[in-house]
Amino acid sequence: MTVFLICALVTLGSLVYTFYIPGEIYTGPVKTRLIYLRERKEAVYDNLRDLNFEYKAGKFPDADYQEMKTSLEDEAAAILAEIARLEQAAAIAASSLRDRKGARV
Amino acid sequence: MSQFSSIALPQIGSFALLLALGLAGYSFVVGALALIIGGPGSERLGETARRAGIAAFGTILLASVVLVTAAFTDDFSVAYIFHHSNKDLPGPYKFAVLWSGQEGSLLFWSLLLAAYGFVLRLRYKTDPGLFAYASVVIAGVQVFFLLLLNIAAHPFAILEGQIPPDGSGLNPLLQYPEMVIHPPMLYLGYVGFTVPFAFALGALIMRYPGEKWIQITRRWTMVTWGFLTIGIFLGAHWAYSVLGWGGYWGWDPVENASLMPWLMGTAFLHSVMMQEKRGMLKTWNMWLVFSTFWLAILGTFLTRSGIISSVHAFAQSSIGSWFGWFLIITLATFAGFYVANRSHLRSEHKLESIISRESSFLFNNLLFVVACFVVLWGTWFPKISELIQGSKVTVGAPFYNNVAVPVALFLLVLTAVGPLLAWRRTSFESLKRNFMWPAAGALALGVVMMILGVRPWKDISYFYSLMAAMLAALVICTVISEFVRGGRVIAQKTPGLGLLGSMVHLYHRNTRRYGGYIVHFGVAVVIIGILGTPFNREAEKEMGFGDKINIGPYTLVCQSYTQDDNPNFSNEWAIINVFKGNDQITTMYPERRLYKASSQPQTIPRIYPTYSQDLFLVNDLYVVYEGRNEETGRPIIKAHLNPMVPWIWTGLIIMIFGTVTALVPNAAPIAARVPARVQTAPAVGAGD
Repeated sequence: MTVFLICALVTLGSLVYTFYIPGEIYTGPVKTRLIYLRERKEAVYDNLRDLNFEYKAGKFPDADYQEMKTSLEDEAAAILAEIARLEQAAAIAASSLRDRKGARV
Repeated sequence: MSQFSSIALPQIGSFALLLALGLAGYSFVVGALALIIGGPGSERLGETARRAGIAAFGTILLASVVLVTAAFTDDFSVAYIFHHSNKDLPGPYKFAVLWSGQEGSLLFWSLLLAAYGFVLRLRYKTDPGLFAYASVVIAGVQVFFLLLLNIAAHPFAILEGQIPPDGSGLNPLLQYPEMVIHPPMLYLGYVGFTVPFAFALGALIMRYPGEKWIQITRRWTMVTWGFLTIGIFLGAHWAYSVLGWGGYWGWDPVENASLMPWLMGTAFLHSVMMQEKRGMLKTWNMWLVFSTFWLAILGTFLTRSGIISSVHAFAQSSIGSWFGWFLIITLATFAGFYVANRSHLRSEHKLESIISRESSFLFNNLLFVVACFVVLWGTWFPKISELIQGSKVTVGAPFYNNVAVPVALFLLVLTAVGPLLAWRRTSFESLKRNFMWPAAGALALGVVMMILGVRPWKDISYFYSLMAAMLAALVICTVISEFVRGGRVIAQKTPGLGLLGSMVHLYHRNTRRYGGYIVHFGVAVVIIGILGTPFNREAEKEMGFGDKINIGPYTLVCQSYTQDDNPNFSNEWAIINVFKGNDQITTMYPERRLYKASSQPQTIPRIYPTYSQDLFLVNDLYVVYEGRNEETGRPIIKAHLNPMVPWIWTGLIIMIFGTVTALVPNAAPIAARVPARVQTAPAVGAGD
C-alpha cells in the first residue's frame, strides 16, 4: 500500500507539473537576418578590438596592422550598410502599415 | 534492513525508471511534433514537452536515490547491490556502488544526462527556439538510455531464491578514494558532450542563422571538456597509484575510449573559434561536435559491452548490440540532416595564407583527428583482426607511441606558435618580432640539457625528450610573452597598477583567451612530466630485515614487515626506510591486501615525490609490495624511480585552473570606433 501511494504521488506530481501551465509561454523574439547581422557586427568589432590591442602590444608591424585593420573595417562597414538598409526598409514598412490603418479609421 | 525497504525500494526504483521512460518519451515525441507542426498552438505542446523533460530528471533522481539507499541499507534482494556491495564496505564506497557496475553506471549516465537536460530546459529563455530543438535531441538520447535501463540492464532486478546474508563486495580495484570521484568526472565529461551535440544538431535542423549557438554552448563545452580532462587524469593517477606497475598510461582500450572524445573535443574547442571569429569551418565543426558525442557513446559501449578485453571492461553483456544500433541510428540521423541542410553551412571566408592563425587551427585540428584515428584504429584492431583472420592481434604501447609522440610534438609546436600568429596572414617581420625571445628561451634550455648529459643521438626516446622539453619551454615562453606584452599595454594606460596587476586586469578583460593560455601552460607542464619516462629506473629484491635496494641516489632499507586484519580485508606490508646519502628522508609502507567478500588480492603501492630534495627535477619513488616468498616468508619489494612524474599532476591543476578562469565572464569591453565607410560599402552575402 505504501509503495502504491508513493508511486501514485510521484506520478501525480509529474503529470501536474507537465500539463498545468500557468500564464503565458515565453517564445522569445524571432531570429531575423537583422538580428544575425547585429551579432556579426559584434563579432567583427571584437576582432577589431583584439587587433588594436595586439598592435599596441607590439605584435604586428605597422604595414601588417594597417592591412588587417582595413580588411576588418571593410567587413564591418558592409555589415553596417546592410543593417542600415534593412532598418530603413523596416521603418518604411511600419510607416505604410500605420498609414493604411489610419486610412481605414 | 527493515522489512519496508526490502519490499519497497526495488519496486519504487523500478516504477521511477518506467515513469522516467514515459516522460522522456513524451518529451521527445511531443517536443518533435511541436517543432514539426510549428505556428500558433504548438507552443503549449512544446512547453509540456519541456516540462516532461524536467519531470524526467526528478524521477531518474528518485531511482538513483533509491539505488544508493539500497546500498546503504544492505538490501541484497537487489541483485545489483548483492554483486557490488557488502555489509563491511566503507560508506563512501557504498555511495560509489551507483557507478561501480554496469546497470548502476548506466543509471548514473542517465541521471547526469537528465541533470544537464534539467539545467538546459530551465535556461530556455536564452533562445527558446534553439533550446526546444536541443531539448528534443537530449530527450532522444535519454529515451535510449532509459530503454536500456528498463529492458536490458535493470538496476533493480531482484535476486532469485533466498536473500543472501552478505554481498559479493566491490571490486578491490575500485576500493580507492579516487574511484569515488574519477568515474563521476569522466561521466560528466562523456555525458556533457551530448549538450553541444544537441545544440549543433538543433542548429543544423532549424538552419539557425549565425553563430550564436556556439556562444551559447561555449561554456557547456568548456565545462564538459574540463570534467573529461579531470576524469582522464584521475584515471591515470588511479592506475599509477593502484595497479602497481609503475606507469600511469597503458593504452588500454578503456583509457583510449576516454581519450578519443577528449581529442575531438579539444579540436572542437579550437576550431570553433574560427567559426565565431571568421564564419569558417562550419561543416567541419558540425562533424567534430558530432564525432565527439559519438565517440563518447562509443567509449561507454567499449566500457560496458566487454567487446574488447581491458582491465576496465566490467562485463560481457547483451547491451553491446543496443549501443551498436544506437550508434548507427545517431550517425544516420546526423548524416541525413547534414545532407539536407549542408547548404546552410557554407563558409563566409576562405583561408588567405598558410601562415595565419586560421591555418594553425586547421593543422591543430588535423593532428587531433589523426591522433584520434590512430587511437581508434589501435583500439579496434584486435576486433578487426579477429573478424578478418579469425584470431585477435593486439597492438601494444609501441604502436601508439610511434604515432602519438610525433603528433604530440607537432601539437606542441602549434600550441606555441598559434597565439603568436595573426588572423588572415602573418608577415615575416611579424614572425621575427614574436618568436625571437621564446625561441631563444627554448634553444637555451636545449643547450643546458645537452650540457647536463642528455644525448639525443644515442636513443630516439632521448631525442623526443629533448624536443619535448624545448617545445614545452617554447609554449611557456610564448604564454609568458603574451601576458607580459598585454600587461605592458594596460600598465601604460593605468599607471600605478604595476605589471603584475596589469596582467591580472588583462586576464579579466578576456578570460577566455588568457584562461586558454593558462591551459596551454598546464599542457606544457604535463609534457615536462611525461618526458621523464625514458629515464625511469626499477629494481626488485626479496628483502629481509636490514636488506637494501639502491636505486638512483636513494637507498631503501627494510626495517620490518608485518600483517593485520580488519572486517573488510586482511593485509601484509613492509616498513621501508628511505635514505639519500646518510640522511633518512622518509619511511614507506607498501602493502598487499586480500579483500574478504570477493577473495581478491590488491596491491597498494606507496609513492614518495622528492620535492624537498629535488624541487624542479623531482622524482617519484614508487615502492610495491609484490608478494611474499612462501619458503623464506620475506617480502618481495619492487622499487621504481620515475623522474618528473609529479609535474603531470601539477600540470593538471594548472589546466583546470585555466579552464575555470576561462569560464569567468569578461569585464566590460571598451567601445570600438565605428568605421567611417558605412554608407558606401557593399552588402554582405553571408547568413540566412
